[in-house]
Amino acid sequence: MLQRIWSTLCSLKLAIILASIATLLAMGGSLIMHFNPEVFGNLDATTLSGWSRSLGKEHPGLSSWFYATGILIILLAINTACCFIDWLTVIKARWRKTGEYLIHLGFVLVVIAYFWGSLAGSRSERNRVGEGEMIPVKGMPGYYLRLDKFEPLLNERGRPIDMINTVSLLEGDKVVKRGIVKTNTPLLHDGLVVTPASFGRLTIGFELLLPSLGKGYRLTTGDAIPFADGKRLVADAFFPDAVRRNGRVFNRSDNVGQPAYLLRLLDNDETVWSGWYFLGRPQPEALQGLGFNPVVRRPVYRTVSYLTINRDPGSGVALVGGIFISLGVLFALFSFYYKRSRGDRPEIE
Amino acid sequence: MLIFAALPRFGSILIKMMESPAFQSVILKFAFAGYIGATGLYLAHAVGRKPLWLKAAFRIFLIAFGLQTLCLALRWYSAGFLPVTNLFSTQFFFSWALALTYLYFEIRYRIHATGLFVVFLTLLLLGSALPRDPALPPLIPSLDTPLFTWHIIFSFTGYALFAMAFSLGVLYLVQKKLQSDLLPPLATLRKLNEEAIFLGFCLFTLCLILGSIWAHIAWGYYFSWNIKSVWSSIVWLFYAGMCHAKFIRRWQGTGYAWLSIAGFFVVLFTYLGIGLLMQSNHPLE
Ligand code: HEM
Repeated sequence: MLQRIWSTLCSLKLAIILASIATLLAMGGSLIMHFNPEVFGNLDATTLSGWSRSLGKEHPGLSSWFYATGILIILLAINTACCFIDWLTVIKARWRKTGEYLIHLGFVLVVIAYFWGSLAGSRSERNRVGEGEMIPVKGMPGYYLRLDKFEPLLNERGRPIDMINTVSLLEGDKVVKRGIVKTNTPLLHDGLVVTPASFGRLTIGFELLLPSLGKGYRLTTGDAIPFADGKRLVADAFFPDAVRRNGRVFNRSDNVGQPAYLLRLLDNDETVWSGWYFLGRPQPEALQGLGFNPVVRRPVYRTVSYLTINRDPGSGVALVGGIFISLGVLFALFSFYYKRSRGDRPEIE
Repeated sequence: MLIFAALPRFGSILIKMMESPAFQSVILKFAFAGYIGATGLYLAHAVGRKPLWLKAAFRIFLIAFGLQTLCLALRWYSAGFLPVTNLFSTQFFFSWALALTYLYFEIRYRIHATGLFVVFLTLLLLGSALPRDPALPPLIPSLDTPLFTWHIIFSFTGYALFAMAFSLGVLYLVQKKLQSDLLPPLATLRKLNEEAIFLGFCLFTLCLILGSIWAHIAWGYYFSWNIKSVWSSIVWLFYAGMCHAKFIRRWQGTGYAWLSIAGFFVVLFTYLGIGLLMQSNHPLE
């Protein structure tokens, strides 16, 4: 009985049947996928497990082929693994098949790696980070990514062709890895892969002209404007598109809509007032008489980088699988021609 | 002495001249004409059986292939990368891969007119590429990696071998009906078909592995769920299945021939159908 089960698991016919059904299902499924981008369009931006828990679950009719194909691939991998183990038991007599069986082992590893990455990995796209800023790494609690430096690379016509991000990966306060992230050059660390996606600029304040002082000032978060009698106005925050709701101020978007500053008035280093000032609107009472009558000259921008931060704990195993398959292909090619040169023909079953 | 001093200068002038688009256009036209001439002679030999025609056909094919290879090398040298990023370049490269496949089978097995379907495809691709703009496009940084270069080389050589398997499959079925002495015996056709499938599978496997590594470092994942990648996996699974089907007696010969034909349609859909019928977000679409 056990022997029968084992030989079924090792059977070549089973492999062909599983592979054929999986192929047909994937053919049909790819069309379902293509014509339902609202369900399948975002698959690269999430892990399979994340997708299954959200969109996959909401559309059982459309996603059933997907799960069925996945199950068939797993069965095929089990079949291949058994076939490989079976070969191991007779390796002394059949060592010449090493190439073929490296391909089989590699396939099993790639399937394991892919499902492992899909279950235990994480994906996050378009993580916005400015120079000097730090963001937490999704899927790796306690880890942060800091953008130390950003430089767009432009071609002769001034069009951006690459993004040079110098980044540091920190575990708590400790830098565990530092490197350049640009096209085809990711930061890799323990299954983590950071790649550049795009870059843009954010309005972080304005250059203001103060006619009463006869001077212009750049006012972004942290900047201050000095007035007479030891008074100073410090910008503690800036929102490019602010709105006041229930007494609190929120930022609606990164586009310039209704800009506002959170200002603090200091009198000889002592805070005498703090509050929001919406540019263009009447001034708060506390600021009247100070001579703060700004005219907007131009916005101040900061370049930000958008990074893809994915974690796939299985990627190392997948690479090993890929290397096994490649080596297997080279060995199998060699042995194929060796067999041919001896006139062997496949006449099994 | 003076001659030796002048040699490097002469060399650089020669390379400059060969790099000019006008020169390349002329040799490409010669290559095209050579392929047509060789095809005609192969066909004539298949019917008339004159050894001289065969010899001439092979020589002319070799010269035409040499010219196309020279043109490819010059374009690669001028660009600094394998130019396969626009329609002219992909057609040009695929036609070269098909010609190479034919040459391999011709030199190894003397298949003569048996492999001409692949040469027809070469002619079709090269012929439709010739009127197009051969200008070398600038390389975008994400394609500037040897992973991409080898991904493309293995993909087109793999496809070319699948095309060869298709034509051998068709001829197997024809020969089974006709039993003609114009075609090689069934056993030879079967053997060649199996070899084309196995070689094609090996090259296509390397293409997918390099492509996956490239995707991982460029986008942060090694498998993308766009329709082109899904169909590439389907092609791979299909031909992996075929590598096994030859071990099952019932599938040997006729069944295998039909599978080779079906497989080529899967390849055609992956290479052409998706681009023509659907929008894909594969980086090369
Ligand atoms: C998708 C998974 C698989 C891939 C990619 C794969 C690939 C290959 C390749 C390329 C060959 C060499 C064929 C040739 O010599 O022309 C081969 C041979 C073989 N495969 Fe697989 N295979 C897979 C799954 C399986 C499974 C599940 C089994 C188990 C039943 C199996 C059993 C065999 C056997 C018995 C051979 C013949 C080795 C010999 O004696 O020459 N394969 N496979």
